[in-house]
Amino acid sequence: MSGTASSGISLRGITKTYGATVALAGLDLDLRPGEILGVAGPNGAGKSTLVRMIAGEERPTLGTLTFDGKPWSPVDEWHAVAVVHQEPQLFPNLTVAENVMVGREGGSRQRPTLGPADAAVMDTLGIGAVRDRPLEDCSLAIQQRTEIARAVARDCKVFLFDEPNSALTAAESDELFREMGRLAAAGKIVVLVTHRLADFVAHCSRVAVVRDGKVRVILEGDGLSEDAIARQLVTESVLSAAQENAADRLHYEGAPPVFRTRRWTHRTAFSDIDFEGRPGEIVALFGVEGSGARELLRSLAGLERCSGDVEIGTRTGTSALDTLTAYVPATRQQSLYSNFSVGENLLVRLGRPQIAGAGFLLKTQAMKHLARDAVKRFLVKTGTTTQPIRSLSGGNQQKVAIAQALNCEPKLLLLEEPTRGVDIHSKAEIYRLLRDYANEGNAVVIFCTEVLEVYEAADTVRIASAGRLSRPLSVGDYDHVEQLASDIIVLENEHRSAALS
Amino acid sequence: MTETETAPAAGQRPTMSSAGRATLDIALRIGGLFAAIVVVALIFIAINPNIANLNMGASVLRSLSSVAIMALGLTLVVVVGEIDLSFGATYGLAINALAVLWIVHGVPVYLAIPIAILIGAVVGLFNGILVTSFKIPSFIVTLGSYNLLYGVTLWVSNTGTFNPAYPPPGATVPEDQLNFFVGLTQGLGSFQLSVEVLWMLGIAIVVAILLHRSLFGFRLMAIGGNPVAAHLARLPVRRYKVTAFILCGVLAAIAGILDFSFIQTSQPNTGLSQTFPVFAAVIIGGASLSGGKGTVIGTLGGALLLAELQLGLSILSPGAHVQQIFLGAVTIGAVALDLFLTKLRKSRGA
Repeated sequence: MSGTASSGISLRGITKTYGATVALAGLDLDLRPGEILGVAGPNGAGKSTLVRMIAGEERPTLGTLTFDGKPWSPVDEWHAVAVVHQEPQLFPNLTVAENVMVGREGGSRQRPTLGPADAAVMDTLGIGAVRDRPLEDCSLAIQQRTEIARAVARDCKVFLFDEPNSALTAAESDELFREMGRLAAAGKIVVLVTHRLADFVAHCSRVAVVRDGKVRVILEGDGLSEDAIARQLVTESVLSAAQENAADRLHYEGAPPVFRTRRWTHRTAFSDIDFEGRPGEIVALFGVEGSGARELLRSLAGLERCSGDVEIGTRTGTSALDTLTAYVPATRQQSLYSNFSVGENLLVRLGRPQIAGAGFLLKTQAMKHLARDAVKRFLVKTGTTTQPIRSLSGGNQQKVAIAQALNCEPKLLLLEEPTRGVDIHSKAEIYRLLRDYANEGNAVVIFCTEVLEVYEAADTVRIASAGRLSRPLSVGDYDHVEQLASDIIVLENEHRSAALS
Repeated sequence: MTETETAPAAGQRPTMSSAGRATLDIALRIGGLFAAIVVVALIFIAINPNIANLNMGASVLRSLSSVAIMALGLTLVVVVGEIDLSFGATYGLAINALAVLWIVHGVPVYLAIPIAILIGAVVGLFNGILVTSFKIPSFIVTLGSYNLLYGVTLWVSNTGTFNPAYPPPGATVPEDQLNFFVGLTQGLGSFQLSVEVLWMLGIAIVVAILLHRSLFGFRLMAIGGNPVAAHLARLPVRRYKVTAFILCGVLAAIAGILDFSFIQTSQPNTGLSQTFPVFAAVIIGGASLSGGKGTVIGTLGGALLLAELQLGLSILSPGAHVQQIFLGAVTIGAVALDLFLTKLRKSRGA
């Protein structure tokens, strides 16, 4: 133990409290140079507080940090630590190259110039070609790689990767992990925080599972597997929830579709899409960025203008889209109102007659009841309906975001990546909510970028590539997620080559 | 200060079901504002005990009325996440349009007043459409319309001043119309409390119901809090923003008409200097320029504090510069205090 403590960062008895809330309760952890350490934990377990602590954004209430045996405060030596965030925190008005250089002006008053080392880093990450482009014109993947390049070029001692590849394609994240491996090999301290358990197993030498403000276990060697991490993460048996409810699925075969599009065509993203869903059916739209899947989903929400025919229940055209569908955006920043309480957030999409009567006066009593009912029905863990929305954990905020839309009682519910950045427990509950909603005779369409989500949530999957949809695959036909994944990739490639020829 | 603040919060925690933390925050914020109003009043009275009389009180209330009416309109625009700089110019245009139509052209005052209010609505519609349809930032649109409206006012009034009691040669103002118009803001009772104060209170009640008890206000808060989410949830973002601008224009016109009735003299540049005191009242009242936050009671408190300072300082007469310095200092101080208290609450709670 003493050997490890003298090299790298040691955290001993770290405690952090916010008022009455204990985020970290005497946590011990060693970060060693030359390895990638994974940090796993359900939301609200203290994982993000730990990351902020190492990044120097928070001071511990109690406990000590040492670096190579000497007392160390990341708050004062913030430049030694680089954090690559889930959502890039950069300057959209500067170019890619300027973003890499920002913060290195030092005492000099001159504009910093790009050195050969910086150019090499950018080339390695594949952003050398776009270095003079303003960041706001770049895709999310490039923005994120810019943030990585920025950290690499700063030559920091500690690299924290916080969900770095959630928006990257498989090839892009492979490149990222190779870069992380190189950093570790160069003797840096590398920490990875992610919800993707497979990434831990593939790339980390040790994984610390944080729960209830402590390191519950450190998995390494043969003990390190997805199953082992997953079992340490869950508190209750929810892993089988997705499979379990296969039994109570509504039998939708043969029923008339809830919605149907014919020759549905977008200005740029897709054309001639025939798409439908039946009562009780959860359809996954699988596709990478630019495949047209996201635009198709948003067009059904009435947010993208399209030509062609659309029919929902007995109504047609844009009036059907505007009244019978509800849409849940991918990020909570686009669905929640931080100035509103939990209850107000749940009811914000309602109007007359649910929350307002004649003369548009609010029915305050009815609103209280509706909010309480919604909290119960949608399994939102909150003390009261009047507390601020930001006091909830990420998973519960996401449930509120979905409940907002469900409260409108749409015939067709549209979601973008409904469990992105959500812990396993909330994930199972969200799938449960979607299943229950579909079983009431409605259709649900989910835009997915992860096969696991397709496998766990959907009945049918349509793969989008180059603006076209594949034939439907029935998820129930697959016993293993790996088979589904390989079939999806086959279909995706078929389409792409068909579109090219 | 900090003790009294955390004590009720801690005491409330177990039974937080009905009165939430957010409500408590607003109560503390507004409580602090009204405490400041009382303290300032006591300081003035301590310096000069003669000002503690009801006539003075009636005078403070009168002088804050038009500021408060405009500030209420501005609160709606600020809550929805926009800015209006043009209300002072709208106020001036309404006064001058009314004066020219009525006094010079002989349009009956009963018709000229609705026309002046309609002008306010049209200005709001103009601002609102430019902001929502052409996506021009409201700061720029209303900075432009401020100057534009002032130009129109100069043109309409031909840079003249008008008084209905002394019409220009060749024009006549019927006695009954003059009496009606002056009666809009006449003094009541032995303390000469102007009817303008009652108009202000009536408007405050209507705006309070609109903002805090109606679907319109609920959605206005939502749109101001997160315009992107509101758009994706298909709330009528554009319609609500335009409506907020129209209401702001209408209230500015009403404030102008009432002040004209009280002062009885129109000037081409009247109202322009109101812009920043009104803004200050809204900001001191706790509305956030980033949108989604603001209360009617807070805005009224802001207007009251400013009126009190202005009148008190002018009676103690240390000079005009002191009033101006106080206006600036109080605005910055109120926001700084607000941020400080929010930070304090966050670090103790959450």
